[in-house]
Amino acid sequence: MKSDRLGSIALAAVAFFVVAFLQLPIIVVLLAAISETSYLTIPPKGLTLHWFSVVLNDVDYLAATWTSLWLALLSTLAAAAVGVMAALMIHRKLLPGAQLLSSLFMAPMILPSIVLGVALLHYFAALGIRGSSLGLILAHTVLIVPYVIRASLSGLQSIDGSLTDAARVLGAGPIETFRLVVLPLLKPALVAGGLLAFVTSLDNVPVSIFLLGANQTTLPVKIFASVEQGVDPSVAAASTLLILLTGAALVIAERWTGFHKHV
Amino acid sequence: MPTLVLENLGKKFSDHVVASSVNMSIDDGEFISILGPSGCGKTTVLRMIAGLIEPSSGRILVGGKDITNLPPNARNIGMVFQSYALFPHMTVWENVAFGLRRKGVTGKDLGRKVDEALESVRLTGLGQRKPRELSGGQQQRVAIARSISPQPSILLFDEPLSNLDAALRDDMQIELRRIQREVGITTLFVTHDQTEAMSMSDRVCVMANGVVQQFASPEDIYHQPASSFVAGFIGRPNRVRCESTTTPDGARVVSLGRRTKIQFDQSESNSGNGVVDLIIRQEDIELSTDGGSLGGTNVVSAPATVSMRSFIGSKVQYLVDLEGAELLVTTPTNGPCAQLDVGASIFCGLKQDQIFLDDQRVVA
Amino acid sequence: MNRLSSSGVALSAPLSLLLLLVFLVPLALLFPISLQPFQDGAAGSGLTLGNYSELVTDSFLRSVVVETLLLGLVVTLVCLVLGYPLAYYIVQATPRMRLALTLLVIFPMLLNVVVRSFGWIALLANRGLVNNLLRDIGITDAPIRMLFNHFSVLVGLVHVFLPFMVLMLIPAIQAIPKDVQNAAYTLAATRRRVLWSVTLPMSMPGILSGSILVFVLSISALVTPRMLGGGSYKVMATLIYDDFLQTLNWQAGAAMAFALTGMTMVLVFLSSKLLNKFGGNE
Repeated sequence: MKSDRLGSIALAAVAFFVVAFLQLPIIVVLLAAISETSYLTIPPKGLTLHWFSVVLNDVDYLAATWTSLWLALLSTLAAAAVGVMAALMIHRKLLPGAQLLSSLFMAPMILPSIVLGVALLHYFAALGIRGSSLGLILAHTVLIVPYVIRASLSGLQSIDGSLTDAARVLGAGPIETFRLVVLPLLKPALVAGGLLAFVTSLDNVPVSIFLLGANQTTLPVKIFASVEQGVDPSVAAASTLLILLTGAALVIAERWTGFHKHV
Repeated sequence: MPTLVLENLGKKFSDHVVASSVNMSIDDGEFISILGPSGCGKTTVLRMIAGLIEPSSGRILVGGKDITNLPPNARNIGMVFQSYALFPHMTVWENVAFGLRRKGVTGKDLGRKVDEALESVRLTGLGQRKPRELSGGQQQRVAIARSISPQPSILLFDEPLSNLDAALRDDMQIELRRIQREVGITTLFVTHDQTEAMSMSDRVCVMANGVVQQFASPEDIYHQPASSFVAGFIGRPNRVRCESTTTPDGARVVSLGRRTKIQFDQSESNSGNGVVDLIIRQEDIELSTDGGSLGGTNVVSAPATVSMRSFIGSKVQYLVDLEGAELLVTTPTNGPCAQLDVGASIFCGLKQDQIFLDDQRVVA
Repeated sequence: MNRLSSSGVALSAPLSLLLLLVFLVPLALLFPISLQPFQDGAAGSGLTLGNYSELVTDSFLRSVVVETLLLGLVVTLVCLVLGYPLAYYIVQATPRMRLALTLLVIFPMLLNVVVRSFGWIALLANRGLVNNLLRDIGITDAPIRMLFNHFSVLVGLVHVFLPFMVLMLIPAIQAIPKDVQNAAYTLAATRRRVLWSVTLPMSMPGILSGSILVFVLSISALVTPRMLGGGSYKVMATLIYDDFLQTLNWQAGAAMAFALTGMTMVLVFLSSKLLNKFGGNE
């Protein structure tokens, strides 16, 4: 049917246009990072890695990157420990209100993160610990735990229940069973959840921006702030570094365990 | 002293009783099957023995010791699961070593015992493989080796053969029995397949609706079913709905089709007017072209017409019409009645003590 | 299990404690602040609902709230209009194409919002890529104002939330049984008719949940409106930011924050109710 044919072509066109639209700013950032000029043209007036060296030699940028990394790492580890335990409880329905508790644990995902950010700002200020690193880590942990829980639950559900039964009957206590049987099989799901959690922490602005101490900043917050001062290709370079960091984390995780089904 | 005693064991979930008053006493080295349709409670009983489910009532004693409140890892019981439950991230060797390690066995001792277990299931040399690299039958054997290597006092099987195809099943039945006899371990085997239960066991426990119907040797179960459920479940029974009336002196008369009436004393199950299910095995019905030659006391001779004939190989099966009721009858291929035509008139000899009446019409 | 399992308590205690101390308590403690009056640059005494009523009575605040909601609505609609065709195309594409396109949709989601906004700035600025291109080709002389206005914020937000919409639409469209569609073809004879009368209605649960998700996320957005709208562009989230870090009117900021939370909760609640209602129509 003629109109169907036309319809098909139109559909494909829209689809590809949308996909291209989605990639656009990323390409632009990469382009800006290697352009010699501080304004962008197509084709670029010259290619250079100059801006990268500016960023990599900038003490402030390095400090911000370092802060982002340890913050993301520590909060992910904390979220993993606490989240897996909670997921175990929910999965095995060990408490009567398991479903209700599960909703509570996932609540940080529903609340707008800016609200959490300002609530914690007030809270830490009242406690006199405004700007503390521990507070920042705990805040990020709360924020990212739902990702760990969701992935862990998915992983736990895919493990055959009779495996833990078998381990118990063979003489393993509850903790041994978890360590020897459940944990190894949970690895792909944990990595998936952990990765998502790590990236969420790495990218966070609405919570970090309220809780950072006077001489502290994270990479996204720094980029956020510096844009107010005008567009500078070194910002593009810093952004590119962030893209590369995220991409690297993804590839490492996928290589280590094929985890895409648990996202 | 018996190796395993179940004393009044029961399990109930808020509104619904899964098992009740289960009593069993099992001696050392016996191979016991728990047989019944799905939902009869047999797996629940097994899991209570293993410690995976907490009983609502009753006790479990192993070697005289009350283990009812012990967690599963303290019971020294072996269990083979329906899905085998082999640890996928460990090799065959590590799977078999798991139970031994939990007991503290290490080093040369450990190696020796694992090898022995693998040898008893005829899987020597496959130690380094992962479970997914093995066939269904091999995985089955690893599961068995894993459960017997720590030398438990009792071995439990939860429908282990249902995932295998027919030919492999038959072989494994023999294999399993051989291993069990060699190792000499007291075994409980849960299944819904009666041929399996009857052919492998020293005694069979038939369960239905959470209650033990009968616990006896296969012969006793077959020839002397203790309840109409057992009669209707074992063998290849006919189940016919018949009308039932009571005579003035309390005897019960059941009409099998329009032409046959069978009288039972009032001691035969609860009398009542109305309908009753009549149960008789295909192989218990004797055929004769001459009504008079059906011998024996308490034998009812029921006239019928052949409506269908099937040749099954060692037997011939007829569907006979008794005008209002139908029965399936099997008779040996080399017997006198093997060549009847459709439409032929025939007499069915039914031994009164092989007929069972089911008022509750409990369908297996 | 009637008695409280000790392992259950042990397993959920750490997270429960964490959420109590770092989530529930802070929120509870912020609430009274929203009820405090703000006078002459500091917290006053007593309790008042003024901060909340101001959201409706004060023309500036009211316009910010209304604009935020309108922005959310427009973003949601655009995401729907752009996302549905893409989702539909992906569903009926070959497996290889489907995987490639899905990855291309997911990839931008993993990137930082800050980075993405920066990309749009580089594109839409007066000396940005688009303007430079237009000038080089000779279409314009003076730069077109595409940044720091509604347009750039809209584009930025659509870019951020479009993948969410697409990922929620795909399973909804996939769930429509092929034979229902085929049966409809024999009756309706044109693709368009089938789309309107069968596919769209049957993917309604996905449309609803996707739309509500995008709407809720849009009205809570901070980074994109701030970066692409400029310092003077006001939405609820940027107002909260200014209140807490600039004017230090934590009282008004808290009220705005809870108002935002309230709207979000209502919508999430509505969405689960609606989904239950629609879910049964299979």
